[in-house]
Amino acid sequence: MGDKMKTSLPEKKLILDNGIYCPEAVKLAAFVFSGRAAVKIKPGKGVSQVLIGARSADLTAAEFMNEVLNQQCRIDLAKKNSKIAGIIVTKALLSAAGKKG
Amino acid sequence: MAQKTAAKKSKKMTSVLPQALWRKIGSNYLLTNDSGHHAWLKEKDFALVTAGGMTELHPLFAELAVKGFIRNRLDFNDLAAKWKKKNAYLNYGPGLHILVMTLRCNHKCLYCQSSAAGVGDKKTDMNLATARKSVDFAFNSPNPGITIEFQGGEPLLNWEVLKGAVEYARKRSGTAGKELKLALVSNFSLMTEEKADFLLKNEVSLCTSLDGPKNLHDKNRICSSGNSHSDTVKWIKYFQKRCKKQVPEYRVFKPSALLTVSKYSLPRHKEIIDEYVRLGLEDIFVRPLAPIGYARKLWGTIGYDAADFAKFYLKSLDYMLKLNRRGVVIREKMATMMLDKIVNLQDPGYLDARCPCGAAIGQIAYNHNGDLYTCDEGRMVGWEGDDIFRIGNVFKDSYKKVMTDPVTKVCVVSSNLEAQPACARCAYKPYCGVCPVYNYEVQGSLWGNIPSNDRCGLFKGILDTLFTLLKSPGNAEILNKWVTK
Repeated sequence: MGDKMKTSLPEKKLILDNGIYCPEAVKLAAFVFSGRAAVKIKPGKGVSQVLIGARSADLTAAEFMNEVLNQQCRIDLAKKNSKIAGIIVTKALLSAAGKKG
Repeated sequence: MAQKTAAKKSKKMTSVLPQALWRKIGSNYLLTNDSGHHAWLKEKDFALVTAGGMTELHPLFAELAVKGFIRNRLDFNDLAAKWKKKNAYLNYGPGLHILVMTLRCNHKCLYCQSSAAGVGDKKTDMNLATARKSVDFAFNSPNPGITIEFQGGEPLLNWEVLKGAVEYARKRSGTAGKELKLALVSNFSLMTEEKADFLLKNEVSLCTSLDGPKNLHDKNRICSSGNSHSDTVKWIKYFQKRCKKQVPEYRVFKPSALLTVSKYSLPRHKEIIDEYVRLGLEDIFVRPLAPIGYARKLWGTIGYDAADFAKFYLKSLDYMLKLNRRGVVIREKMATMMLDKIVNLQDPGYLDARCPCGAAIGQIAYNHNGDLYTCDEGRMVGWEGDDIFRIGNVFKDSYKKVMTDPVTKVCVVSSNLEAQPACARCAYKPYCGVCPVYNYEVQGSLWGNIPSNDRCGLFKGILDTLFTLLKSPGNAEILNKWVTK
């Protein structure tokens, strides 16, 4: 990964262990942050390297880490709860569409 | 020997249901479960329960067993029936249909979420064909009870179309076999006796905005005449009088009012409640301001954080309880709806606090041009230039297409508390709900980040207050009366 992005914004580099934060969680967090920061992701050996460019890069990087954690917890929860979550969503949507769930 | 076995059996240790949720409030633990039951435990009892050490001899055992907190004493049929009753809305489609008659408004309220257009801007008026098509669309819902709510802007600015829509909806309900409720949300400034007569004869329930005493109301709700409060009060009194008289031909409903809490309201809870009592209004909805639409831009001036609102809410509830003890009839609407879930274990129809939220599957907002949105808040985001919550158009899209639209689906999926990490384990999950529109506006995604979400803070504050008040038998007696059917 190049150490610099083509922006004039201050930058912060993060290295995230894939054992804790899967690449999907990192990508989802990057998508949430796409409107407020420049985010570049590069896969490494067992890690995701993230470069964040923002006016307050340190603060944005800290918030980005919270969002990665949020996304990771969501992914982990889905593995445990997807059955009940799926039943509720299916029931709600089918009933609203006028079909018996 | 037999006696010995029985004694041994009665001391058998049991463990708490794995799905039990808890929250420490003060020095005690509040335990809840998906059926909506709750129980309070002291720290030592909580430790006993979670360690699986509670025996049948414990004084709390019977209560916890009946409420479904003891693993080997579960009455699945009873718990499932309660879950089904509490989540009955999962069996119906959208019940609330909000028709935006116009975006024009003669007020320029500080927080105006409807981001109203100027009075002369008639291109944002709904025409009669769109109004009729919207009514037809609403009747496609499988929900046996339909509420059509006429909103704006100020809907009375488009009176002829409003009148036509009311007549058409009443005619349509005659053949549709559905229960129809009609409601109007208006600032009343353009109300006349003739309009009032028409609305009452057609059993339209009337709701206005009242932010408190004159100087506070007029500060929040700025109108060209400068007399917003006087107009509102005049017509509240008029409709109260008509309600008291009742006639055999039709039902006249009591008028109601909505309070929007701005920063300026925070130090004035008593005056606000007194104003409602003075006008004979028996319900007050202490609604927090949401940083959506126009209010988002002004948040620094008129907004506040969850902690400030929680303080205001607690002071307001305390004062209302005090008035109730004196025999005054005044209830807080948010509390009433939450208590219906907590005390009666049933769904009060509050679309903002349910799982999944009411977006599209509980309500639909119909814009003046026939565009359909997941909810009124979603429409406001659209008016600010981002149509992410648009789910179709009454002329172009079928009901089925709208209900299977990707936006409908994603709102349902993202507001499912079982898929929200912080919510799935929260003690308030059985009573609460998240809002994808709020999440999107404030945190940049439909899912949001709940631990740092101020709306979550607001609901936690409200529910902390209610559960704490319910612990006192004196308060509980009054609060239970609020939801006695």
